[in-house]
Amino acid sequence: MIKFHPSEEHLFHYVTGDLTPAMLMMVGTHVDMCSQCQRNVQHIEETMAQKLFGQRQLPEEFAAANDSFDGDEMLAQILAQPQQQPRDLSQQFASELVLEGKRFQLPGTLARNHHRIGQWHKLLGQMWRAPVQVGGKDVLTFIYMAENTRVPEHTHKGNEATLVVNGVFNDETSDYRDGDFVFLDGSVKHTPETRHEDCLTLSALDAPMHFTSGVSRLLNPFSSLFFK
Amino acid sequence: MQTVIETKTKRNTMSSAQPDDPDHAAALLALVATERSRHAFSELFRYFAPRLKAYATRQFGNEQTAMDLVQETMTNVWNKAHLFKPDRGSASTWIFTIARNIRFDFLRKNKHRQHDLSADELWPVLAEQNDSLDDDYALDDDLLMQQLAVYCEELPKAQRTVIELIYVAGKSQQEVADALGIPLGTVKSRTRLALQKLRELIQSDD
Repeated sequence: MIKFHPSEEHLFHYVTGDLTPAMLMMVGTHVDMCSQCQRNVQHIEETMAQKLFGQRQLPEEFAAANDSFDGDEMLAQILAQPQQQPRDLSQQFASELVLEGKRFQLPGTLARNHHRIGQWHKLLGQMWRAPVQVGGKDVLTFIYMAENTRVPEHTHKGNEATLVVNGVFNDETSDYRDGDFVFLDGSVKHTPETRHEDCLTLSALDAPMHFTSGVSRLLNPFSSLFFK
Repeated sequence: MQTVIETKTKRNTMSSAQPDDPDHAAALLALVATERSRHAFSELFRYFAPRLKAYATRQFGNEQTAMDLVQETMTNVWNKAHLFKPDRGSASTWIFTIARNIRFDFLRKNKHRQHDLSADELWPVLAEQNDSLDDDYALDDDLLMQQLAVYCEELPKAQRTVIELIYVAGKSQQEVADALGIPLGTVKSRTRLALQKLRELIQSDD
């Protein structure tokens, strides 16, 4: 059962396409995994469609703006085009991720963007990361934590969104499982860790992580590792 | 048969049914998909194109880009009507998602950046194979549908239309009767004859 969801605002801007590329991927992947958010997305789409197309009569301002709209010419152009052949039906996406001998089934949004997943690199301890190149200023990263792995306590200068693709991780407040979507702003300190299970997450950061405790403060100069 | 269908469609236009009625819009899309009915498309175009233009003008503040969005959206409606799934949502919602995708790609195209996401990769509204990733059996289904499509080509056009509306567009027999303006009994008998014929075709191929 998914406990943590994107906000209504995230879902709305996912529907209109007005989030950063990394966040569109995050919210889209959550929606793939969450039937409740699928229903919300559909509802938002219906509301948008109603707003765009619902009026029986075009209001004056639109009618005026359409003075120069030569619908007949465009209609004739469209009808005159030769019919497009349907695209090749055999097109298949690689929908699996293989890492450390384990296979992970990727939700649709990630599978369609499989070609954007870069090389895996080992970080400290039993953690691996791979960048997902989607353009935009914030950074989308797969992070894999083996069992019994802890990320040093850290805050973020900006926002951090984390989505569990497979497995479980814990922090001071809760446990997070498949499909859970957590959005943290810069004020939250936390120490994510895995226990008996490993965990594959997708993470979007809009500023480098800032480690706050003990020896791991020494890692701060390397936080660019997370942020490449 | 074509004449009867066209006449009825015209009569619908004259009556109060407008593309803002979801059932009517869905029936028009089904006619575009199965018959490539220019009449049904024109009716959709006259309703949706000016409203898309108003939306796109607000979004882009640029006349030419707005017109491009309208043209590209409606071209997709004309060519891809078979991808509309009535059980997934209304015709206007489907057209909104097409316009949303085109807007998304227009906005990125202007920035000329590498690695940029494309709308199709986020929202596969116009993918021919929408369910493949969610459904392990989709491949077999597709194969089956492709084979069936070949057999359907053999049917008389009137029967094929009924079969496609019921089994591809997911309409009830009553909805098909309404959309085509023919009695329910005719729909039933055409369905029965078509299925009988399909069964013969499949068996004779074995």
